[in-house]
Amino acid sequence: MASHQRKKGLKRYLYHLCLWAISFLFFSPIIWMIICSLKTKEEILTIPPRWLFIPTLDNYIGLFDMFNFPKELMNSIIMSLSAVVIAVVVSFLAAYSFSRFKPKGTDLIMFILLSMRMVPAAAVVVPIYLLYAASGWKGTYAGMILFYAMFSIPFSVWILKGFIDGVSERFDETALVNGGSRMHIIFRVVMPQVKPGLIAAFIFNIIFVWNEFLFNYIIGGKKTATVPVGLAQGFTVGGGIQWDFIATITAFYSVPLVIFIFFFQKYLLVGMTFGTVRGEV
Amino acid sequence: MSDTTTAKAISPTDSSTWNKGWLRNLENPKFLQHLLLVPVLIFFIVWNIIPLFWLVGMSFYKYVLVTGEPLKFVGLHNFLEIFNSFEIWHALSNTFLFVILGAGTQTFLGIILGFIFWGSKDLPGRRIALTLIFTPMIMAPLATGSFFKIIYDPVFGILNYFIKGVFGVTIDFLGSAAWAFPAVLLVDTWMWTPFMMLMTLAALGSVPKAELEAAEVENLSWYQRLVHVVLPHGKFILMLGILLRTIDSFKSMDIIFTMTRGGPGNATELIGITLYRQAFNAFTMGQASALAIISLLIAISFTSIYLYVLKRKEAAA
Repeated sequence: MASHQRKKGLKRYLYHLCLWAISFLFFSPIIWMIICSLKTKEEILTIPPRWLFIPTLDNYIGLFDMFNFPKELMNSIIMSLSAVVIAVVVSFLAAYSFSRFKPKGTDLIMFILLSMRMVPAAAVVVPIYLLYAASGWKGTYAGMILFYAMFSIPFSVWILKGFIDGVSERFDETALVNGGSRMHIIFRVVMPQVKPGLIAAFIFNIIFVWNEFLFNYIIGGKKTATVPVGLAQGFTVGGGIQWDFIATITAFYSVPLVIFIFFFQKYLLVGMTFGTVRGEV
Repeated sequence: MSDTTTAKAISPTDSSTWNKGWLRNLENPKFLQHLLLVPVLIFFIVWNIIPLFWLVGMSFYKYVLVTGEPLKFVGLHNFLEIFNSFEIWHALSNTFLFVILGAGTQTFLGIILGFIFWGSKDLPGRRIALTLIFTPMIMAPLATGSFFKIIYDPVFGILNYFIKGVFGVTIDFLGSAAWAFPAVLLVDTWMWTPFMMLMTLAALGSVPKAELEAAEVENLSWYQRLVHVVLPHGKFILMLGILLRTIDSFKSMDIIFTMTRGGPGNATELIGITLYRQAFNAFTMGQASALAIISLLIAISFTSIYLYVLKRKEAAA
């Protein structure tokens, strides 16, 4: 009996080891990138790769001396936060209306909103480019932020409508009977109950805008360039490709996302499926 | 309601009467439901409807942005040109291959990984392990593409270091027409297999515990369990996952754009990249618009299928 249990324990142990090995396998390219970012430029280019080296943070410190990087980082932060705040507020109000009053055309609008996200980015950006070039919005902060807000709305409406549908209408009715105003119901009764939906919408829109490249590259300008745009343009400064620069920015820029995924893991499923699939993993 | 109205009516000195009267409309569901939609509709009209009409209109014209030539109405010529263009058919078949191979491999591996991780609730440090696995799919595609260029580099890339050690040869992954496509596919698979694993875990999680225990008691074989217990509950979530992956790989662009820009030659040219090139390298806006409309129609059909499956799932639940 005891040996049987030990055998079972060993099996369990091996199983866990295997799971961890798979996890590290997926993470290994990122580990390599982090290692590169801690090396000097010469060490990165050494073949065979030098496994033992003295890690240095010079690359990270160097980032902030670079002409464009601090500005681009600020742009990334400003744009993702402001666009997403606008989008989530606007979407929450609309989602409440869609969920509770079901105005005519709800299904059609929900359908078109979802289609928006299924279209290749280049197809979306062609007409927007024509619009922005004609109206002078190209390369302005307002133009970029509103565009990103627009692009975050479909996703947010879908997620939030799903969550509001999950809040029983009894709450609304009870509050109405007790003399609560509609605004009171929307912001004090329903909103607290869909907090997970708001968080998921917030996080996943931020991730989207944070990572977005093509739109900014085309309808943005020098002034509004975010880090991915800077990364695309900074490949070949002064002739050679700057591997140290690429590895360091990539590692640095991904840190907030990894933190998000760690703390908000339970929203991952909802976030990756427009709120159409819920549950824990 | 009428009490307050009369109360207001008899005290006209109250300066906020107008304001209160207007605000009272908020309690009228008919008014409120439309008011709440106003912001979204503004966004919708300015950024979707107007550009859409512009796009449709533009697709009937010959318009090259940089030459300053006036618009020229060409009817359906742009569409005909697309159907007759070898370049576009090549890009479409590449895209098709990319979707089938990519989404297929990711689904296959993802399902296996999902089953492996099914019983992992007691894994020490599970949250960290899952964070490690899920990180690839939320990294900026541009960043991922950039550092895979380092990994794939023929001279100082780590991958070629290992390949040289084992096979004694060096492969210029992104620079050779034969290897570029599989190399790009591999990165896509690395990024998105975790997504299919996530969907598989969700599908498995939707199977009621009681039914699993019943299957245990009845001593069903793993195949029977799969067909009679797991699939009936999990299949819709799995299908939604496969559909999302199909749509996403149909529109993938950033990562390939970073690694190969569709090259070498047109080995990794996908439809999204062709579209980009037509619009922003050749500036042939008319033809790009026509192609955009075609991809819009493809996207709409994908969306319809997605919603159909979603409805079936909700009906089954």
